[in-house]
Amino acid sequence: MLNRSLQPELKSIDKIDFVTPRQFDITANTKLYFMKDVSDETSRLDLYFDAGTTIAKPVISSLVNGLLLSGTPQKTSIQINEEIDALGGFYESSVSHENAVVSIFALRENLLPILRIVADAIANVAFLDSEVKELISDRKQRFLVNMEKVSFIAQRQFQERIFANSTYGNILQTTDFDSISHQELRSFYTDNYLNGLQKVVVVGNVQQDKIDEIIDLVGAWSKPQQSTFPGQFSNLKGESHLVKEGALQTAIRVGRILFNKTHTDYCDFMVLNTILGDYFGSRLMSNIREDKGYTYGIGTLLGELHETGYFLIATEVGKDVKAATLLEIQREMFLLQSELVDAEELQLVKNYMIGQLLKSADGPYALTDLFLGVETFGLTLEFYNKSIDAINNITPERIQELANKYLKWEDMTVVSAG
Amino acid sequence: MIHFDRFKLDNGLTVLFHKDVTTPMAVVNVLYDVGARDESEEKTGFAHLFEHLMFGGSCNISDFDSPLQLAGGESNAFTSNDITNYYDVLPAINLETALWLESDRMLSLSFTPKSLEVQRNVVIEEFKQRYLNQPYGDVWLKLRPLAYKVHPYKWATIGKDISHIEEVQMDDVKSFFKKYYNPSNAILCVAGNFEAETVKSLVNKYFADIPGGIKPSRVLDAEPKQNEFRNQTIERNVPANAFYYAFKMPERRSEGYYMADLLSDILGRDKSSRLYVALKKEKQLCSEINAYITGSHDEGLLLISGKLNPDVNFEDLDIALWKVLRIVKESSISESELDRIKNKNRTSREFENQGILNRVMNLCHFELLGDANGINEEYKIYEAINANHIQEIAIEMLQPTNCSLLKVKAS
Repeated sequence: MLNRSLQPELKSIDKIDFVTPRQFDITANTKLYFMKDVSDETSRLDLYFDAGTTIAKPVISSLVNGLLLSGTPQKTSIQINEEIDALGGFYESSVSHENAVVSIFALRENLLPILRIVADAIANVAFLDSEVKELISDRKQRFLVNMEKVSFIAQRQFQERIFANSTYGNILQTTDFDSISHQELRSFYTDNYLNGLQKVVVVGNVQQDKIDEIIDLVGAWSKPQQSTFPGQFSNLKGESHLVKEGALQTAIRVGRILFNKTHTDYCDFMVLNTILGDYFGSRLMSNIREDKGYTYGIGTLLGELHETGYFLIATEVGKDVKAATLLEIQREMFLLQSELVDAEELQLVKNYMIGQLLKSADGPYALTDLFLGVETFGLTLEFYNKSIDAINNITPERIQELANKYLKWEDMTVVSAG
Repeated sequence: MIHFDRFKLDNGLTVLFHKDVTTPMAVVNVLYDVGARDESEEKTGFAHLFEHLMFGGSCNISDFDSPLQLAGGESNAFTSNDITNYYDVLPAINLETALWLESDRMLSLSFTPKSLEVQRNVVIEEFKQRYLNQPYGDVWLKLRPLAYKVHPYKWATIGKDISHIEEVQMDDVKSFFKKYYNPSNAILCVAGNFEAETVKSLVNKYFADIPGGIKPSRVLDAEPKQNEFRNQTIERNVPANAFYYAFKMPERRSEGYYMADLLSDILGRDKSSRLYVALKKEKQLCSEINAYITGSHDEGLLLISGKLNPDVNFEDLDIALWKVLRIVKESSISESELDRIKNKNRTSREFENQGILNRVMNLCHFELLGDANGINEEYKIYEAINANHIQEIAIEMLQPTNCSLLKVKAS
C-alpha cells in the first residue's frame, strides 16, 4: 500500500554541463558568439549596439531604435517588413540602460536572407520625416497610456531615485517628445549603430560559411573602441509617494544600489535574495500573498549593470494595505538580520536554486543566454560552477551576516504610487 | 515530428508520454477539462479561483509547492474559458515527486478555510491588478457580454464581478472538485529522458488507485446566430480612444477555424498586414492596430483592435476599416501574400514547439481536442488552405451583422 504522506526519495544534482558558444573575433572589441548545437529548424541572431538610454536623452535612443526599419532611400518601411515577413522572419528590437539589441528569429534556412534585408535597412536609414513623426506620436501615446499604470509610475520614480545624480536616473518626460531634432537622431544613429556594434550572437544549426557572411554583413559597424560605463552610484534613501487619483492598488518599489556578478558577495547574496523574495515559497510571498492575501504577487530581484547592480522588491497591493505591506517587508528584512534561517528552509532553497540553474542550462538557447549573463562582466561559465559551490556551502550565519550588511531598511529607497 | 505514447488507466485517466533525450529536466502536465464556460452565471470566476486552491494543500500533503521546490522544481497553472492546466518542471531525477504531488491533489484537496480566505483575497487583488487598475483593463469584461448573449463565453475567466469571488462558499469548492477533478476528466502528460516502461509503472503507482469518477457531460447553451450589428461605447479616463471589433468565428475543431486564423494574420498580424498598412501607414488613422483570434473551443472571436491617433474620430476609422474588409471579401488574395502568411505561421509554430514545456502543453491540448497527434498534423491543414478558402471565410465572417464593436472613449 502506497504511503501518500511520504515524499519520494530525492536525488541531488551532482553536475551541470555548461557549454560555451564558439567565439570569433570580428575586431579586437567586437566578438561573434555561435551556438550551433540546435536540433531543430529554429535560429536566432542578436546584434548588440552601444546605443542604450544612458548615453543620450532616453527619448533619442528609444526613437532611433524604433526607426531602424523605417525605410531607406530605396525602400519604404512597408517593403522592408514585407520582405522579412515573406521569409517568415520575426524582427525585435529593444533598448536598455546600457545597450540596444536587435534580434531576428527565423527558420535557419532563412536567417541569412533576412539578415541581408535587415542589415541593408539599418545601414541606410533615411529618417523620413513622416516616419519620424509617426513614431514620435505613437511613442508619446504609449507613454501616456503607461502613465496611467501605478506600476509604471512607481518604477519610474524608483529609477530616478536609485540612480540619483547620474544619467541612469534620467527618465522620459512627456515634453521630451515635443522637441526632437533630426540632427540628434542622425548623429546618435551614426555614432552608436553604424559605429557601435558590441557583439553578435548566433544560435542555430547554420553552416560555418554563413558565419563568415554574417561578419561581412555587419562587421563594419564594430565599435572602434571598448564601451565605457560609469561606476559610482548612490541611491536616495527614504520614502516617497506619488498620488494617482482613482487607483485601486498601490505599487510599491523598495531597493538600493548593490553590485553585480563581479562582486565577491554576489553568489551568497543570491541565496539571501531567493529566501526573501525570489521564488514562490519565499518569505515575502508566504507572508504578504499566501498568509495575508494583500497582493497577487511580490518578488525581489538583483538588476545588473556593467559597473554595478541594484536590489529591488516590487509589488502591487490593495490601496488600504500599503502601510501594512511596508511594515511586513521591513519585518521580513529584520527577521533575516536577527534570526538564523533554519536548516530545513535553507536546504529547500539550495535544492531549488540548483534545480533552477539546471533548467537555465537546458538547451542551446538557454545556454547561450546563461553565457551572455557572464560574458558582459568578462567572466566565463566557470562562474556557475562557483555559484553551485557557493549555494552548497553557504551557512545560516553567512546569510545573517549579509542581511545585516545589505538589507538595512534605512539604506533603502522606498517608492509608492497609488 | 513530435513523438508520444498514449495509454489509459482503468480509472479513465488519459496518459501521454513524450520522450526527450536532450533535456535534464522533466515536465509533468495535468489538463483538467473544465474552464470558466462550465460555471453557472451566478457563480462566475470559480474555475479560476479553484485553480488557486489547488496549491493550498491536498489530503496527504499539507503544502504543494515546498516538496516540489525541495526537489529543485517549480510549478504554475492557468485557467481559460475552456480548460484548466497545471504544470511542474523539475530535474528529471526527481520526477517521482511531481507525480506524487499531482496524484494527491487529484485524489482530494484538504479544503482548509484559511486557504479559501486567503486565495479569495489574492484573486480579488488579481482582478484589480489585471482588469480594474489598468487602462483599458476592463475591455474584455464589457466585450464578452456584447458579443455573447447566451453562451458562457459572455463572462471572463476572472469572473463577471468581484462580488462572485467574495461570495464563494466552501461547499461550492467541494462540489466543484468532486464534479470536475477526477481521472476521467483529466489528461496527464509526462516528458523527459525516460523509458516508457518506467513512466508507465510510476504513473500506475501514483494514479491507478484514484477513484475514476464520472466524466461530466457538457451541455452548454448554444449561442444563437448573430443577426445584428452591435455597438457599445464606454467612457474611461484613458489617454486615447480605442476600438475593438469582434467577429464571431468557427469553433476550434472545424476547418474554418484555421482559415479564420490565417485571415486574422492577413488582416493584422504583422507590419505588412492589410490593416496595418492601410490604416496606420497610409492613412495615419491609428497608432496601433492588430487582428487576432481568441482560439476558443466553441464559437470564438476574431478581434480587430487598436488605438486612434489624436484628432481622428471613430467614424473615419470605421469607414476605412470596412473598406479594407470589403477588399478582402471582393478580391482573391495573391499567392505571394498567402505564402508570406503561411511562412510566418510555420516559423512561429517551430518556435512554439521549441521548448519541452510548450510541447507538452500542446500535446495535452490536442488530446483534449480529439487526438494528441494533431500537433503533427496541424501544419497540413494550414498548408491546404487556398485563396478561395480565405475569401469564403472572409465573406462569411466579416459582415456587420456578425460584428460587435466596443469603443473606449477618452473622457
